[in-house]
Amino acid sequence: MDVAAQLLAGSVAAGARAIRWLDDGDARGREVLRAIFPATGRAHVVGVTGPPGAGKSTLVDMLIAHERRRGRRVAVLAIDPTSPFSGGAILGDRVRMSRHALDAGVFIRSLGTRGARGGLSRSTYDATLVLDAMGYDLVMVETVGVGQEEMDIVRLAHSTIIVAVPGLGDEVQAMKAGLLEAGEILVLNKADREGFEQTWRHLELLLHLRGGGRAAGGWAARLLPAVATRNEGAGAIVAALDEHRRYLEDSGEFERQCGRRSEQQFLALARAALMADLLSGPGAELLRQVRARRLDPYTAAEQLSAQLRAGRTPH
Amino acid sequence: MSRAQDRITPAPETQQVAQEAQRWQAATRAPHVAAHPERREPFLTQALKWPIKPLYTPADLEAAGFDYLSDLGFPGEYPYTRGTQPNGHRSALWTMSQVTGFGKGEDWARRARYMLDQGLQGLILEHDLPTTNGYDSDHPLVEGEVGRAGMALDSLEDLERAFELPFERLKYLMSVCNAPQPVNLAMIIAALEKKGVDPRDFVLHIVNGILIEYTCVGRYIFPPVHGLRVATDCIEYIIRNHPNWAPISIISAQLQPAKANPVQEIAFSMTIAVAYLDAVLERGLDIDTVAPYFHFVINVDMDFFEGICKLRAYRKVWARLMKERYGATRPAALKIRMMTSPTTIALTLQQPLNNIGRLAIMATACALGGAGEAMTTPLHDEAHALPAEEAIRVGAALQHIIAHESGVADTIDPLAGSYYVESLTKRIESAAFEEIDRIMAMGGALRAIESGYFQRALGREQYERNKDVEEGRRKWVGVNHLVVPEEKRQIQIFRADNRMEEEQVARVRALRARRDAAAGSAALEAVRQAARSGANLVPPCLAAVKVYATHGELCDAMREVFGVHSPDSQLTGV
Amino acid sequence: MPESAARPLRILLAKLGMDTHTVGITVVAHALREAGMEVIFTGLKQTPEAVANAAIQEDVDVVGVSSLSAGHTRNLPRLAQLLQSQGAADKLLVAGGVIPEEDLPLLQAAGFARVFTMGTDTREIVAYLRAWWGERGASQSSST
Repeated sequence: MDVAAQLLAGSVAAGARAIRWLDDGDARGREVLRAIFPATGRAHVVGVTGPPGAGKSTLVDMLIAHERRRGRRVAVLAIDPTSPFSGGAILGDRVRMSRHALDAGVFIRSLGTRGARGGLSRSTYDATLVLDAMGYDLVMVETVGVGQEEMDIVRLAHSTIIVAVPGLGDEVQAMKAGLLEAGEILVLNKADREGFEQTWRHLELLLHLRGGGRAAGGWAARLLPAVATRNEGAGAIVAALDEHRRYLEDSGEFERQCGRRSEQQFLALARAALMADLLSGPGAELLRQVRARRLDPYTAAEQLSAQLRAGRTPH
Repeated sequence: MSRAQDRITPAPETQQVAQEAQRWQAATRAPHVAAHPERREPFLTQALKWPIKPLYTPADLEAAGFDYLSDLGFPGEYPYTRGTQPNGHRSALWTMSQVTGFGKGEDWARRARYMLDQGLQGLILEHDLPTTNGYDSDHPLVEGEVGRAGMALDSLEDLERAFELPFERLKYLMSVCNAPQPVNLAMIIAALEKKGVDPRDFVLHIVNGILIEYTCVGRYIFPPVHGLRVATDCIEYIIRNHPNWAPISIISAQLQPAKANPVQEIAFSMTIAVAYLDAVLERGLDIDTVAPYFHFVINVDMDFFEGICKLRAYRKVWARLMKERYGATRPAALKIRMMTSPTTIALTLQQPLNNIGRLAIMATACALGGAGEAMTTPLHDEAHALPAEEAIRVGAALQHIIAHESGVADTIDPLAGSYYVESLTKRIESAAFEEIDRIMAMGGALRAIESGYFQRALGREQYERNKDVEEGRRKWVGVNHLVVPEEKRQIQIFRADNRMEEEQVARVRALRARRDAAAGSAALEAVRQAARSGANLVPPCLAAVKVYATHGELCDAMREVFGVHSPDSQLTGV
Repeated sequence: MPESAARPLRILLAKLGMDTHTVGITVVAHALREAGMEVIFTGLKQTPEAVANAAIQEDVDVVGVSSLSAGHTRNLPRLAQLLQSQGAADKLLVAGGVIPEEDLPLLQAAGFARVFTMGTDTREIVAYLRAWWGERGASQSSST
């Protein structure tokens, strides 16, 4: 049985190997994706993001526990930064989830960003497809805790949880500009800490400014408290996730989002393929001239575009 | 006033020294160095990596703003830089001790008696990892670890066996069992009661050092905020019930092997002390009552002067902190209580007898820097495995050789006034206060632990200092210098007996079958209740150990209420 | 899927049992990261079962266990046995820490390819893993 068939039959090792191939850019990974694609489109992909120190891993750990109690199978992709200098990484998010290490219904995978920006790894989308095909009901993606404007997760996930904590004044200010605009569920973690009231009111105001219920029939972002270290708040978060999934399904958004993610992936792949073709074909000479500063980049781009319009296909 | 002016206008003789030093540099030293280049470029202190000048003169003291009366004062007086004892070690030497503890209770007792026979007066009771992590010996997770790194403690029975000791010869017993501290404390109190030992006749030190466990040692159970509460319960209980005991030790000597440099070591340990102090003060005790109970264990590494200056700075930083932050007034509150020790991380696995030389140098640094109330020496074969008896004898002799043969303890603070020593002491002190301010600004030690600040700082030091050795910037005999190829191991190794674990497991199981089960579960419920209500945990633990509730059961009862700590890699420093 | 074929070695670093000394594993983790490897850390106080599961889920190439207490004679062979029985025998097993010489045959027999005793130069560890990975990487890309 090949890896695709094995993972569809529930083999953890095969799923893990497929993710490895995808992460490594190994051609066998793409074969697997082709084979399993029809089996995808079921899992609820949930992003968990927020500033460093907000307790994302602990929150994920709590949500795993809660979902397991109601019998749902859970997978987690935990993303940590790859060193831009060495290409190496220390991936330690699974430590916080170690109590689930022996639970066959939980799969945890650590990924290094490997040069990708936006808080995700190169292979995050592909990996969610594998986990989806393996039959996990919920796939949580925990992003790198940096870069508040970088929110690729919002485009990747069906639902995004933004984790904030009391007292992180600057971080909250920074989040206002980016993440807060996007998340469907906002969790104020470490709610037992001083400064909770103030941050809570601040976030409430932000959500209010963001438009509360938005247009009629739209999704009104939820603000929920949690103390993940004490397992408090999971019930309401999971209920909000369920509600959001129902909202997505009822409005047809679930399907559309899955489609949009496929589209993005297609466009990214197509872009890469086309660029490779262009730069080895008609673009090659132009690129050489630009590098040598014999031609300015603007003129070069116009010339390339004109060549393509003129119907001179690559090669 | 006049002192401040002195700093601005150097004394005429100092000015002359500075000029003369410049002349010497140009006329005498520079030509020599041109012909004979220096053997290291640059010379740096070992841990702090501060540049070391070729020569220190009164001009350096002047530049550092050194002032004899305010920076040093006199022994036994504020700011205690020259020592907390008015007569140094001329009246009484430091108490000499060594670490011990392994096996079952009676094994520990046998070895403890041996150590007392070697002239040691204090003992340290280390427990095995199952105990310090809050498990009984028959827990599935602890297989293979029972009685290995220390003594197994499952129930009061074990301590009853361990305390078959000539208590009249024991000055103090230090117990290390941080995360489950209320349980351990309760067991010791109950065992002493059973042996009929008057708790006023000797001193029990409990280390009670949970915040350092979170920082670098790792033997924690509950989340930090609950860990602090549990520790505070023990401090409060001892102060109120056994005022002659020592309820808290800040073991800087655990930060140091985790590669804290002297500045980090002072700043982390002092802010950790502040976290405990603030928590105890909230229980309605006052600073002049509480501060004298705080006790530090401080390591010295191979850089002789860094070690000596660190000890001198420690005393002053504590005195200033107590006075300036808390307004303490009693001398006992302003005087740091400390025990010193050569560090084990300077010792090598290679050519282990060389370690005796290293220990002699480090122990001498302890004596010169002010050994404190006690000195404990590790053993030269520690890097190999658990210590053998010959090593214990050599280790004990070492302290006597320093104390009685070398003369270093015959005058008080003999290095005071050294231009280098005073410059370095002062610089360590100022850098430590800067770091203390930084930590307090981020919310104090508890927050620094919760956010991983301490752990990450240590992780960086660990990596960098290891690179110093691997890349040869730090020469280390046997490791990267004078290496003996294909070295044969020559030292006797102590091995714990495998049967011992089986016997210990059988014992705790037999005990559970035999004891009064109903009394046990009621007692455990009382512990849960106290954990929830915030009432002091020691009294219900004491009641529970007396009906032979086990160590693991009591820890589980608290786990149910507090939860467990599982830090990510940021929080372990990896 | 971007096209870069960078394929870093993935290694799981584990602490088994009650041993909580982290200085050695920290230094090694940093050195391996600087050498371009992906280091997955299990955290402290892990069981052999949990480490085996993590090794499989993470699909690491190497499992490295640090041991500074006496538990290694039991829990290291147990980990090796679990990996073998779960079809993960292709992973390289290495150990490090305070491990007496007389225990080395036992660990080698259990399947540990290499034991780095305390004080091993991290460059030696990196070189060993790189050499192994060089051979392994070559054999894997030609196999399928």
